[in-house]
Amino acid sequence: MLLELTNVTRLYGTVIGVNDITLSLASGAHGLLGPNGAGKTTLLNLITGQLSPTIGSVRVLGMPSRSNPNLLRRLGYLPSTEGMYADVSAIEWVTYLTRLQGFNSHEAKQLALQALDRVDLTDQMHRNISTFSRGMRQRTRLAQAIAHEPELLILDEPFSGLDPIARYSMTKLLEGWISEGRSLIIASHVLHEIESLTRSFLLLGSGRLMASGSTNDMNELLAELPSEVRIRVNKPRELAAELLRGGLANAVKLIGDDEVSVSTALSAQLGRFLSKAVTEGEYFVSEVHAVDDSLQNVFNSLMKIHRGSL
Amino acid sequence: MSVVNATSPPVRSFINLLIGTIQRIPAVVWFEWRRAFTFSRMAWMLALMAFPPGLLLMVRTAARDAPRDEVISILIFILSACVVCMMSVFLWATPALSSELEGRSWVYLAVRPYGPISVLIGKFIVSVSWAIPVGVVSATLSVLVFSTQSPAHLIAVQCGLVVLSCLAYSALFLLIGVIAPKKCMVAGIIYTIVFEVAFALIPAAVNLLTVQHRLRCLLVRWMDFDKVIANRNPVFLSYFGDESSWWHVGVLLGMTLAYLVAAGVILRYREFTAAIETVT
Repeated sequence: MLLELTNVTRLYGTVIGVNDITLSLASGAHGLLGPNGAGKTTLLNLITGQLSPTIGSVRVLGMPSRSNPNLLRRLGYLPSTEGMYADVSAIEWVTYLTRLQGFNSHEAKQLALQALDRVDLTDQMHRNISTFSRGMRQRTRLAQAIAHEPELLILDEPFSGLDPIARYSMTKLLEGWISEGRSLIIASHVLHEIESLTRSFLLLGSGRLMASGSTNDMNELLAELPSEVRIRVNKPRELAAELLRGGLANAVKLIGDDEVSVSTALSAQLGRFLSKAVTEGEYFVSEVHAVDDSLQNVFNSLMKIHRGSL
Repeated sequence: MSVVNATSPPVRSFINLLIGTIQRIPAVVWFEWRRAFTFSRMAWMLALMAFPPGLLLMVRTAARDAPRDEVISILIFILSACVVCMMSVFLWATPALSSELEGRSWVYLAVRPYGPISVLIGKFIVSVSWAIPVGVVSATLSVLVFSTQSPAHLIAVQCGLVVLSCLAYSALFLLIGVIAPKKCMVAGIIYTIVFEVAFALIPAAVNLLTVQHRLRCLLVRWMDFDKVIANRNPVFLSYFGDESSWWHVGVLLGMTLAYLVAAGVILRYREFTAAIETVT
């Protein structure tokens, strides 16, 4: 088993970092999703053994995680904060950290060279890190995490601050890592950043594990959540009336002459209804979009469900 | 009766960790040494090095009569083994951990199997290896400013005190930095003033715990002040005791080791993660 958390709670004084999380993950790639402050970094700190749970137990690769050198030999970690020394070169920094992983100087140098080559930094590796762009620094940080060929790679917001080109190359690199059959846990607050990398997600909100499962499970879950949908249509009044009659809308609001805003708890059925209506020529729909499709709103809805207010 | 097998998994694991950590220390020392060669640091160290001989040169120029050898020894001891050594290791060792925490680089070291402890010992060695040459040169130049009767003996004594001072104070400040990483400099200054300056002067059990007291005792023994000045009177004995110099050297080295072990144990078991999320 890759990861086993049993009733894990972590408190910072009276503040809850993570709250009663129980989960088991098999080897493979897993996405950890949640808005800022959801407890993702705390959970990763528990997994990497930098923190111990206030209650419960954390086992990673079958071993207790807290201050466990045997486990740390098999982990690679890219934290969300930069924290690199500005006055050293990329090759010096990665070699140094690989030395601390337990390799001799020759092995560490070779592994660092391979890792920097893998992240496409060979040409720039003798430059001081302070002269690097954000994308280059991120790739250097990734190099230190993969240099010792860990069994489990843990990435905390690896796409943060990257431009589209750097995001693309980071995604390709991680796809290569996963295709080699290695395990990966990747934390992000943006769903689309990691959905191309993994089909297994954990949704974290306010320190709680809100949901977990595959992409299909997530889609079904999201479809069942209350949401607001705007539809640009040729007969908005008629459509609004039909949706209310059919119980597909909780509330409707007409916007101008050709748009209707629909509040619904049955997004999936609404989608099927619109699809059928358009196919049969009953309505001419030119645009459909969800108003609150951000992950934050999904989590807000999940929180309300948890509290029983939805 | 059960006998613990010396090669049982926990023992073997600990031995492997210890060996691995020791093997990684040269890498940390080399890395930190390379990072330490900055203009500002070199300038600061040179200024520290020049401070005691410069001050003593002014004293010599201003004084009508040359001070007695005992006074010169005490002056050099205060300026080199105390002020210079204390200052240089204070600036190196105290922020050893806090600089990593503030720079957010600690997390990269903390997730390495041989990271935290080898970094601690490595930084201790770097601190000492920078401070000792500064203290030794400073003490030697200070001795040469005055024409003492036996400069070689005085240089040897002062250099011995410099080495012991750097070792003990570096370990002490490293421990303070690990205990109170957020306010390490303030904690270091307060500790120095309260214990190493004030309590070290009190002839009671409390001064036996200070590095300063041991160094003073060693100065007295190695310079034979107990014979020259005090003639072993009861007041003198109550302050400096009658232990041998080797006893004081042993105590100082023991204190150094104890401080390092304590810092290592705290580093191993305390949570230093800087990323504390605030979740409502």
